[in-house]
Amino acid sequence: MLRRMFIAAGAVSLAVLATPAIVTPALAQKFPDRPITIVVPYGPGGTNDIVAREVAQKMQEQFGQPVVVENKPGANGALGTGFVARAKPDGYTIAIAPSSVLAINQWLYKDLPYDVEKDFQPLSLAGTTPNILLVHPSVPANTLAEFIALAKAKPGSIAYASMGAGSTGHLNGELFKALTGADIKHVPYKGSGPALNDLLGGQVQAMFDNLPTGIVHVKAGKLKGLGVTSLKPNPMAPEIPPVANTVKGFDATAWFGFIAPKATPRPVVDQLSAAIIKALNAPDVRERLEKGGLTVVASKPEEFAAFIRAEKVKWGEVVKKANVKIEQ
Amino acid sequence: MSGLEGLLQGFQTAFAPGNLLACFVGTLVGTMIGVLPGLGPVATIAILLPATYHLDPTSALIMLAGIYYGAQYGGSTAAILLNLPGEASSVVTCIDGYQMARQGRAGKALAIAAIGSFFAGCVATVLIALFSPPLISMAQSFSAVEYTALMVLGLVGAMVLAQGSLLKAFAVTVLGLLLSLVGTDPEVGTRRMTLSLPDLYDGIGFVVVAMGLFGIAEILRNINGAQSRALVADKLDKPWPSGEDMRRSVGPIWRGTALGSLLGVLPGGGAILSSFAAYALEKRIARDPTRFGNGAIEGVAAPESANNAGAQTSFIPMLTLGIPANAVMALLAGALILRGVTPGPNLIDDRPDLFWGVIASMWLGNLMLLVINLPLVGIWAKLLLVPYRVLFPVILLLCCIGVYSVNNNTFDLYLLAAFGLLGFILAALGFEAGPLVLGYVLGPLLEENFRRALSLADGDGSVFLTRPISAGVLAIALLLLVITVLPAVRRQRQTAFQE
Repeated sequence: MLRRMFIAAGAVSLAVLATPAIVTPALAQKFPDRPITIVVPYGPGGTNDIVAREVAQKMQEQFGQPVVVENKPGANGALGTGFVARAKPDGYTIAIAPSSVLAINQWLYKDLPYDVEKDFQPLSLAGTTPNILLVHPSVPANTLAEFIALAKAKPGSIAYASMGAGSTGHLNGELFKALTGADIKHVPYKGSGPALNDLLGGQVQAMFDNLPTGIVHVKAGKLKGLGVTSLKPNPMAPEIPPVANTVKGFDATAWFGFIAPKATPRPVVDQLSAAIIKALNAPDVRERLEKGGLTVVASKPEEFAAFIRAEKVKWGEVVKKANVKIEQ
Repeated sequence: MSGLEGLLQGFQTAFAPGNLLACFVGTLVGTMIGVLPGLGPVATIAILLPATYHLDPTSALIMLAGIYYGAQYGGSTAAILLNLPGEASSVVTCIDGYQMARQGRAGKALAIAAIGSFFAGCVATVLIALFSPPLISMAQSFSAVEYTALMVLGLVGAMVLAQGSLLKAFAVTVLGLLLSLVGTDPEVGTRRMTLSLPDLYDGIGFVVVAMGLFGIAEILRNINGAQSRALVADKLDKPWPSGEDMRRSVGPIWRGTALGSLLGVLPGGGAILSSFAAYALEKRIARDPTRFGNGAIEGVAAPESANNAGAQTSFIPMLTLGIPANAVMALLAGALILRGVTPGPNLIDDRPDLFWGVIASMWLGNLMLLVINLPLVGIWAKLLLVPYRVLFPVILLLCCIGVYSVNNNTFDLYLLAAFGLLGFILAALGFEAGPLVLGYVLGPLLEENFRRALSLADGDGSVFLTRPISAGVLAIALLLLVITVLPAVRRQRQTAFQE
């Protein structure tokens, strides 16, 4: 019995650790001829992880080879992303990365172990998701314009929570301050959950939270939703107007995309990208991801590359304009 | 619908054959990954998530929840038998549980852990059914100020955990606090004490610290000449708790359950504190505190009941507010959202079958855990008769696999070795690892909440004394500090008790 327990336990541990360790030097006539690894530079459970696992399952069916998701969290995504930058460019190690890793962090941190333009070949933009500006019901403002007027009338009286220093919620808040001149105070938390908890309890007055987790409380009448950070309203919350309607130029959508090491051969890039696009367009995958608040894009490599360049320029301006400083 | 009516409906859902099976599979898988050091429920649940897509959301959540509390439960087995805490909640179980194992009383420790957990699980289920709304409003009245006070109390409690010199306990607690500062500053993002190594930007992982200081250090101590023994335990006592053991455990199980249920509701840190708090409380009120650390059964019963109660009540904020209290809850909330069920204030009305079904399944799951584990107690205990020369390589291998699997990072293995060595040196010098780990776990929470509280109060430090809950908790901490530190008071207290 004890022996059986150990065997069963061993099987579980093997399943958990399933990491492709076999590297055959043989010339790959047909790609892929062995397992592909998708590195997620964050822990399990986040949007990156969910998208990667959905896509991995479909890619596996298409390729007839295992597609393994490997979480390599650390340093705001820099550890796992840096790992893929140094991986062999043969298409067997790719990554999923969010806007913060590909377009924002280079403006905030000095010593990233990767250079987005030099190290990566974009494969496909998987999707985008906006944040939502939430305020506690005790705040006497029902529209964004009223909120801005209030913040200006009583400088420093409104504290806004974020998921962490340098997070999208933090940058949204700083962009908001830069564009409106409203003086609101940043209070960082570790993750969205504890921040929302304090917002619900009225310990802080406002927060830019991810749409799917935030909208629940607006629908339940516990919080007021003043705006979404995308240029258009989101189907998940069509009644919430974009912040950009009131604050000109406020466009701050988070996004997630697949990348490969730079020198990956072109035919392999095309095969991977086609497989990812097909996976994202599968009706069941699309339905689940959209329920999770993601607008599926599934773009081609060149489109994604151009998109990354444009976003990088945009966030560089935001960081400068808002004077966001992370590292002294 | 009242709570009890809901619970009855929930039992109908939970007893449906598919859900019954989901619950069994979940608790079984959870027990196994819990026993394996380092393999946590977070990774397991994330990996099994896609496999639950073909189940209906209720069965899926029942199974995933089973993995979570099953793992809490299995974690105590490794802690008691091998001094290997896989999670913060089982660190204190190591202290007395492992001593009991060395005395050949492993079966008793495992059995009392099982019984305490089961009892706590039953009480927590009823509490969730009856008191969700008031518990939630209590949790929300806690701001950064109250959390700061709670963490201060926790740190003072770390001194109480100590068995020997208070000064040494104080020193290692501070060392734990310092180690917890390694990594990225939570408020402004500056990197501290990272030696410019990206692997340290997120700080040192808990599993590395706990396994190094307890598991690896224990192996080093055993192969080091003087203490060398061929087996963990030379003889095995009867595996079942005696009447005396049961009598001693009743009070600790009750108090542990109460503490765990209350603290579990607090998001961020509450559940971590519960097992430490339960242990410290038992040691404080014991007639003979010196028994603690030397295999006191109360030192297993109380924290095990507390962590199981806490694991269950931590579902309350997730299910009723949509706010996950920890990483596992965040995963479960994500799993529900993907299935089109949004956890939040409306869940109880929109999907009463799911809400009550899951809660009822927790009671069933606890019963299953008892049934799965009690027959295994004797077998697990026999593991201690495996010679060290066979056992050590297996433990080392499991530790390495466990630590590596957390982040898939080899750097963590070097850290594990370093902490093993640190633990060995500390033990040789008469320092204890328990207070260090507590300082390490509470440090970030204290810093985060203290700075947040001051930032929200515009730097006005008096908030800690003007808010009633915070002032009360700080007063208790001060009192505890005084009666711990002043030997005269302590002596008087002991004589008073003996009379």
